[in-house]
Amino acid sequence: MRTPIVLAAAGLALAALSACSSEPQAGGAGSATSAPAEDGKISVAATDTECKVAVSEVSAGTSTFAITNTGSKITEFYLYAAGDRVMGEVENIVPGLTREVIVELPAGAYEATCKPGMVGNGIRNPLKVSGEHKPLTDDAKLSEAIAGYKRYIKSQSDTLLVKTREFADAVKAGDIDKAKGLYPVARTYWERIEPVAEIFGDLDPAIDAREADLEEGQEWTGYHRIEKDLWVKKDVSKDGPIADKLMADVTTVVGKANSAQLSPVQLANGAKGLLDEVATGKITGEEDIWSHTDLWDFDANLEGSKAAVQALRPVLEERSPDLVKTLDGKFAAAEAALDAHRKGDGWKLHNELSKEELKKLSDAINALAEPISRIAAVVAK
Amino acid sequence: MFASYLIGLREGLEATLVVSVLVAFLVKGDRRDRLPLVWAGVVVAVVLSVGFGALLTFTAARLGHQQHELFDAVTSLLATVFVTWMIFWMRRAARSLSGELRTKLNDALQLGPVAVVVMAFLAVAREGLETALLFFASVQGATTSATPLIGISLGLLTAIVIGWGIYKSALKINLTTFFTWTGLLLILVAAGIFKYGVHDLQEANILPGLSTQAFDISGILPADSWWGALISGMFNITPQPTVLETAAWVLYAVPTLILFLRPGSKRRTPSLTTTA
Repeated sequence: MRTPIVLAAAGLALAALSACSSEPQAGGAGSATSAPAEDGKISVAATDTECKVAVSEVSAGTSTFAITNTGSKITEFYLYAAGDRVMGEVENIVPGLTREVIVELPAGAYEATCKPGMVGNGIRNPLKVSGEHKPLTDDAKLSEAIAGYKRYIKSQSDTLLVKTREFADAVKAGDIDKAKGLYPVARTYWERIEPVAEIFGDLDPAIDAREADLEEGQEWTGYHRIEKDLWVKKDVSKDGPIADKLMADVTTVVGKANSAQLSPVQLANGAKGLLDEVATGKITGEEDIWSHTDLWDFDANLEGSKAAVQALRPVLEERSPDLVKTLDGKFAAAEAALDAHRKGDGWKLHNELSKEELKKLSDAINALAEPISRIAAVVAK
Repeated sequence: MFASYLIGLREGLEATLVVSVLVAFLVKGDRRDRLPLVWAGVVVAVVLSVGFGALLTFTAARLGHQQHELFDAVTSLLATVFVTWMIFWMRRAARSLSGELRTKLNDALQLGPVAVVVMAFLAVAREGLETALLFFASVQGATTSATPLIGISLGLLTAIVIGWGIYKSALKINLTTFFTWTGLLLILVAAGIFKYGVHDLQEANILPGLSTQAFDISGILPADSWWGALISGMFNITPQPTVLETAAWVLYAVPTLILFLRPGSKRRTPSLTTTA
């Protein structure tokens, strides 16, 4: 009876097919995720006459497109390279269904195309892919870097939830002094993970918008709204709903941040982004304009940036030992510059610093930002 | 709803058609003992498709576009080979039939057990993965709208009913007629599978010319009509085929039809008095 052999062979062939294409990631190859995360996916809204792709530019590497068909015809989605070479496709997207396709794209010009009714040339959208592309995740060290950074995000976001809960409770209890004390502490954890939180576009402003940055007609919520009431109005009796919303938004962001798929380049860019935050917001004192607790944020941004760089350290040491030396030196210098302003178990207020001192901080940050901006290129090699 | 139903019907027909003919063939040829092998092939294909589909849907495992298309292409080309084999068995069987001599049939039909299993397996596995992925997508979306899930399921069920109908009606007709007609039907099916395999090789960027269309009959054969779904499900005739896949279809169908329909070498019908 040779039947079992044939079937076993068929099974093996399928298994091999999946094995060679399963993507190693933090937690090992093919680790089951309880639910597919909604993050980092490029949504495509397809109808019988339209094909709306959320973005027109992506960075090289692996992208996931989630196509939702709200039309009445069956549609197909193709990602064409020049000359209609198919880079990825998904067929049979029936009305009301969302189907996904994962494609790995080197830099170049592509066309994201929906074909309502499964015929014709389809509705085409130009898609620009830029950047250096190497299937990075094949590198075990990089995967480990991601895993390490995700552990950092996890530990910080756990505390963020605890501290924000305490802060929200103090606000709702009308305990202004306690809330004032907790405000910079809760924000410390927020600012450490901010680059990940920023991936989820709409939540970041709801949590961290400054009054000066509000758009016309945008409702102001989040930390800074409460900050103003604490320090300026000195009355938070009406802020219960704001505190509840803040807690809810932070909880959502934490959930997403912990399930987000991160790439090594995102880590590098995140480290850089945090320093830019310092330079544009914290040095100027615009971030915490009423409480003047900018240095807490400053410190947290610096730490968050360092955590991302440290996660990438094994890779950097292998590829660019000189850059690691430079980074170590500049981090130490920036930390020393900031340390001069310690006060108790916190920091001096922004308005207690002289122009001279702020200039020194600014210089230290700028000196660090330069080598940090070189990390992405090294990682993407 | 109707659109999802048609997709389910189309995907389902691609599998049930070959299987139902195979089953009818075995039953009519008094080889019922082979039926468990057919179901084994089908079950294994379904289990593998569903398991693999679940793996791709619910875990981080991924199948690259090219690998996916290659899998479809390779299984399709293999299925073409096996179905062709079956067609010529039928032809031989039909030729060797002397009307009332049923016992002769078994000698003419040495369909090996492996061939039966593999054929049933390929018929289902060919589109099984795509169907499983589609099914899981509709299950995941069922929280927002259950319509696609219901539609696809009903379509698959209809395909099974149609397959069963083909099987039942095949049992009713005279054996020679059965062999001739199912043979012709299978030639069209196999040509379609072959054409589909070539199309997948084009989509996998292994063969060129994906955007060079031979003709466009989407006006008379809307892909989203019931007859369009039925025809593409049974024969893989699509409204906008590429030049290469059309050529593949013709190159397969024409010689096969000629070979199938050519008059066989006249065998002397053994008289009833001859001792075997």
